[in-house]
Amino acid sequence: MGNTLLSAENISKSFDGVQALKNVSIDIEKGKIKCLAGENGCGKSTLVKILSGVYTADEGQIDIEGKKYTSLTPITAIEEGIQVIYQDLSLFSHMTVAENIAMNKMMYSKKKLVNWGEINRIAKEQLDKIGANLDLQAPIRNLSIANRQLVAICRALSLEAKILFMDEPTTALTKKEVDRLLSIVLGLKEKGISVVFISHKLNEVFQISDSITVIRDGKKIGDFTSDELNPKSLSYYMTGREIGYTRYKKMNSDNDNILEVKNLSKKGMFKDINFTVKKGDILGITGLLGSGRTEMALSLFGLNPPDSGEVLIENKVAKITSPNEAMKHGIALLPEDRLSQGLFLESSAKTNITVTILNKLKNSLGIVNQKKEEETAIDTVKDVNVNNKNIDLHVKKLSGGNQQKIVLGKWMVTDPKLFILDTPTVGVDIGSKSEIYEKIQESATNGMGIIIISDEIEEILANCNKVIIMHEGKIVKYLDEEELNKEDVQDRIFNIINNPLGRVNHEA
Amino acid sequence: MKLRKLKQMEKYLISILIAYIIIVSVVSKNFLSVNTLFDLLKTSSGTLILAAGVLMVLISGGIDVSFTAIAVVSGYSSILLMMKLGVDNIFFALIVAAIIGLLLGIINALIIYFFKLSTFITTLGTSSVFYGFMTTFIGTSSISVADKPQSLFNFGKATLFGLPLFFIMAVVILVITWFILYRTTLGRSIFAIGNSEESALRAGINILKTKLFVYSYMGLLSGIMGIVYFSEIDLINPISLVGTELMVIAAVVIGGIRLTGGEGTILGAILGVSIIQIFRSTLVFLGLSTSWNDLFIGIILLVSVSLISYQERKSNKEHLIFSK
Repeated sequence: MGNTLLSAENISKSFDGVQALKNVSIDIEKGKIKCLAGENGCGKSTLVKILSGVYTADEGQIDIEGKKYTSLTPITAIEEGIQVIYQDLSLFSHMTVAENIAMNKMMYSKKKLVNWGEINRIAKEQLDKIGANLDLQAPIRNLSIANRQLVAICRALSLEAKILFMDEPTTALTKKEVDRLLSIVLGLKEKGISVVFISHKLNEVFQISDSITVIRDGKKIGDFTSDELNPKSLSYYMTGREIGYTRYKKMNSDNDNILEVKNLSKKGMFKDINFTVKKGDILGITGLLGSGRTEMALSLFGLNPPDSGEVLIENKVAKITSPNEAMKHGIALLPEDRLSQGLFLESSAKTNITVTILNKLKNSLGIVNQKKEEETAIDTVKDVNVNNKNIDLHVKKLSGGNQQKIVLGKWMVTDPKLFILDTPTVGVDIGSKSEIYEKIQESATNGMGIIIISDEIEEILANCNKVIIMHEGKIVKYLDEEELNKEDVQDRIFNIINNPLGRVNHEA
Repeated sequence: MKLRKLKQMEKYLISILIAYIIIVSVVSKNFLSVNTLFDLLKTSSGTLILAAGVLMVLISGGIDVSFTAIAVVSGYSSILLMMKLGVDNIFFALIVAAIIGLLLGIINALIIYFFKLSTFITTLGTSSVFYGFMTTFIGTSSISVADKPQSLFNFGKATLFGLPLFFIMAVVILVITWFILYRTTLGRSIFAIGNSEESALRAGINILKTKLFVYSYMGLLSGIMGIVYFSEIDLINPISLVGTELMVIAAVVIGGIRLTGGEGTILGAILGVSIIQIFRSTLVFLGLSTSWNDLFIGIILLVSVSLISYQERKSNKEHLIFSK
């Protein structure tokens, strides 16, 4: 293979005695798109960080165009033409969009002085290249996650890299932005740049990759060309078992209302929202980012009080103005961003799980019963099947899928009547995904009311017996069980989401 | 260069300053005189020099409480050396003090970087070590007015273009600091590590080099300030100054600089120092005792940090961020 740009041989790495990678070898060819596939926690991100110099491998050797390294630093990696879009984006939140985009290029050029005109020019050029429109002077902390992802992508593209690693670059992007990104990736390939693409979305993997390397539990399962695999065989290699999602069917005949929302409005966010969730219902809410779905969910949880309208819990009017009150009404929320809103990353699984029910675990003196706390945590970790059953482990050491299981578990222990899940499987691997679905469906069958907010039509269709589609703060379509059972429903939802205003013309 | 818009915090500080100056000048006719102004600029200079360094340290995400100790140790040692060698030259004093300060700053940076320690604890420790080293091995005796080298007196009285020379120095240092922070890649690296050290590392920024610069710059400025300070007062007493570091940090924080790093402006720091200095030196014009000083400064500090936090929460809410 004369076209190999980078080849890593027998890379091993362990953290605190846990073997994250074992003898993994990988070759990256010039001008090819390689996908790294594997479940969360399998070691993909670790491998990327070793190849970009953030971590040093315990063993193994990296060969970049004939130069051999046993350890890389981020600076040498950048100088060798390696650019990475990290999963956590690695942006500077108090600095502007322009400076974030231009940062890598500035550091690389080794210029001593800063030229602000040039920074703005670089940023503008990169944003134009991917067709995004952002305020160059806005600080990153004011941006949505999706826009931050765009900034991180622009930054990595600003240097004419030889190899570009993209660690789940599309998690927060809408379909349109994903398509644009994928076409940029294909354009890079044509220019002879190698791309290593990491994604959980199998359709993206097959859409762009030339070859696929599968990693499972820190070991390489194999290198495949993308023709050799199909979604089914790929997920088999990734998880080591057959994966299929069972479609939810409402079994619970109990038809009591859990939640009824009447004319709920908040200026600039959502308007005249009406829907009901009955026992055993799984209501799906979809629509593009910015459709007001998250804002509305936050209102139900007391974080974003509405201006007008009524919320009825079990047919009684409820004024929910804080999460504390929401919890008293039996509402739970799995937030959109689990890292900043759903978890205490620096604390143990135990602390995270039991924090929602400390009141129940305390005795009359207000002292928490540690034994009960421990038992609850152990039961929950088993119940949601976290891969590491150690309840004293800091949750930041868990993979995305397992972290999400902890968030799920921490709310399940409160035994909610209504559970709102905002994009529950973003950055979650297929294995964990199906386990989370199972858990959700089981709870609904036992009478819980559930709302799932999601971008993934497959996710909505697999789990929901009712669906509403939102656009610019309004409900544009309501689909009941009967309509969801029709064959063309997937395409219909897709068309409504992406063309909510043209819908009238289509159907007329 | 296009002038940037004033930040909310800066507007608020400027209005307080103007309101206060109007009140004082109405109450006391003596206030708006060339003499008062001259004195004010002169006494503010030392604090301004330190504030430039403190600003840089805070932006980098750290904190330094050892700079007063560095100022005293380097100022006092260099004056003693002057007297011993009989070199009565202000440049000699400044250069020696600056070099000592620089070295002590490097020690801070190395400990912080290699042992990955909290900057507060490290500099709290080194502050005692530096000061203790001086009192144990170099001495603590005051230098009387009669023994004090003549060049220090001259330096204390010197003017340039009708302004105190100290003040011109402070202005030059502030301009240099502004230039480093906003016009050099190094300065932007300082902002970057204050935002996120991990992200900075991944962007290829040399963390060690950046931290070495930040703390040695702080040390260098402290050394210079040591000489400025001892030239300004008559009696050189090496146990003064230490203990006032938190007031300088407070001044910079009043100016809207975040203690958690990544954000801050030179203008903010200047306004913060101005407010503290004006209060300190003009309460007498209002017929108030100096005990009002602490009260006023405390209130302003609390109001300004609350204001910053309130604005941040408000803007976070608009962007649906509830984490902090």
